[in-house]
Amino acid sequence: MTRQEDRTRRVGRRSFFSLSGGAVTRTAVLGGLLAGFLGLRRSRSMPAGARGGLGMVRPPGSRDEKEFLSLCIRCTRCADSCEVLCIELFGPEAGSLQGTPFLIPGERGCNLCLRCGETCPTGAINPLVEKEEAKMGVAVVDVRLCVSHNGTGICGACHTICPLRNRAITQNFRNAPVIHDEKCTGCGLCEETCIVRDRRAIRVATDRLWPSAKKESSS
Amino acid sequence: MTANTAERRRIHKLQVARRLVQILVVVYIIAVPAVARYVNYLSARELDKNIEKWDGELQGDALVGLDRVFRAMPDGEIERMDQLVRNRGQVLDYAQEVRGGMWSAEIGELSITDPLAAAESVAASGTAEKVLLISLIFPLIVTLLLGRVFCSWICPVNLLLEFTDKLRKVLRFLELKPRDIRFSRWIKHTLLATGLVLAAFLAMPVLGYVYPPAIVGRELHDLVFGLFDSAEIGEYGFNINGLTWLSLVLVVIMAVEITVSRRWWCRYICPGGALYSLLGAARLVRVRRKKEGCTRCGTCITSCTMGLSPMTDKMGIECDNCGVCISHCSGGVLGYSSCMGRGKEKTPDLAGEAVDEAGGES
Repeated sequence: MTRQEDRTRRVGRRSFFSLSGGAVTRTAVLGGLLAGFLGLRRSRSMPAGARGGLGMVRPPGSRDEKEFLSLCIRCTRCADSCEVLCIELFGPEAGSLQGTPFLIPGERGCNLCLRCGETCPTGAINPLVEKEEAKMGVAVVDVRLCVSHNGTGICGACHTICPLRNRAITQNFRNAPVIHDEKCTGCGLCEETCIVRDRRAIRVATDRLWPSAKKESSS
Repeated sequence: MTANTAERRRIHKLQVARRLVQILVVVYIIAVPAVARYVNYLSARELDKNIEKWDGELQGDALVGLDRVFRAMPDGEIERMDQLVRNRGQVLDYAQEVRGGMWSAEIGELSITDPLAAAESVAASGTAEKVLLISLIFPLIVTLLLGRVFCSWICPVNLLLEFTDKLRKVLRFLELKPRDIRFSRWIKHTLLATGLVLAAFLAMPVLGYVYPPAIVGRELHDLVFGLFDSAEIGEYGFNINGLTWLSLVLVVIMAVEITVSRRWWCRYICPGGALYSLLGAARLVRVRRKKEGCTRCGTCITSCTMGLSPMTDKMGIECDNCGVCISHCSGGVLGYSSCMGRGKEKTPDLAGEAVDEAGGES
């Protein structure tokens, strides 16, 4: 303690840093706490990964949302392991969900390589063995937009790309897709490949609603 | 005399190795996401090549740089230097076996998770998965045997803060004497406990947002991914679009470090350091001092990065076994010793050689 005092006296006026030391510490601590509070607070605007009212798509094998958020340690391993790099990580705009993995099937669907579950260190993403076990969501067809359904064309792209062809998606006349909910894995390849570009005619819907979207839908 | 210099050289080599490992860790953090994106890019362009949509020219600083590294490796069948030189495809295959960053990593079959991350995950979820426990085996064994070596050998923030410590010396040289306020060492343990309780209360991990190694890992990961992302939309230069506000935490830590308190983060605040020091409390390898021969010069106290006092044997649980004090000791009385070999001293020659060399590193 005496050493400390001694040093302070010796430094005197010359040191700018020693004079402002206490103030700097206090400002830094307060500023840090404030930044942390603001950052962790859930942001009002939805990031792209929230997908509006459709719900977030998590990697195949993910536990249900509450359990997932408590288990996931935000370690980036799933994103690194992904074969097609469809897994992205939420940025700071996602508040408390920052660092958790999500997919935007409209941009890049999951090819069900299941490496993310294999590598997840906490079991937030369960390791799966068969593609059929995955349940990321369910594809929903908008019959007004789908060209095969509304009679403006004959397509069948979603049926062609589906990894569970003829099980998850079967075809009606004019190649119109019919989804079998209990088989569909929600991988989103159909959404990625859908030829209706502005708003896809087939989209993956999940029950993982973005927190603020949940509030709106309940009220 | 000879034994002493040999010992000293060995310790010096250890310091060089430590620095190399620290730098390698930083390279690792950057390389993992970069290679993942590179592999993906190549496989996607292979398809384009088949349908003649791509002329084979790479664009973007990051991609071209990585490609140069990989193309420098011999491609195709190789016979010379049998297993040492791999061709590009094999190297990429191996590189893909490595995943993750500072928080949790998978290297081949070895899965490693930071004990702090695991503790938080367990506290938040109330369950401990088998995979999590398996990935804890390696770090726990190392910490129990060697103590807080994660801090001194692996942590990229320690590398950064050891550098800022040098900056303090520059400031001192410029007569701008930086302050050195001391806090209680128990702050970090309190913070650790608070963080775990908070994680259990909020049912989500919170310490990962203030734990600098995790921040560095995630920020560098985002930086690399951001680089490739912007290259995909046509911005080929270097940019920092991927960085987030969490980088500011590091800047604040460094600023306080330089001006207010020496090594304050590692000493007083870091929750990870708190956990590691608790785990390493009963470590087998410790820094020990020979009472006879010690000149009480105090070099070890000024050199210790954790602000401990090896001269008076006041080490406690904080010591991270980095060995800086050993390499600085002018009398050569400090050395590693293991508790198992306490009967037969590991470094018996150290005692007799008192003040023999003038050339102890100041």
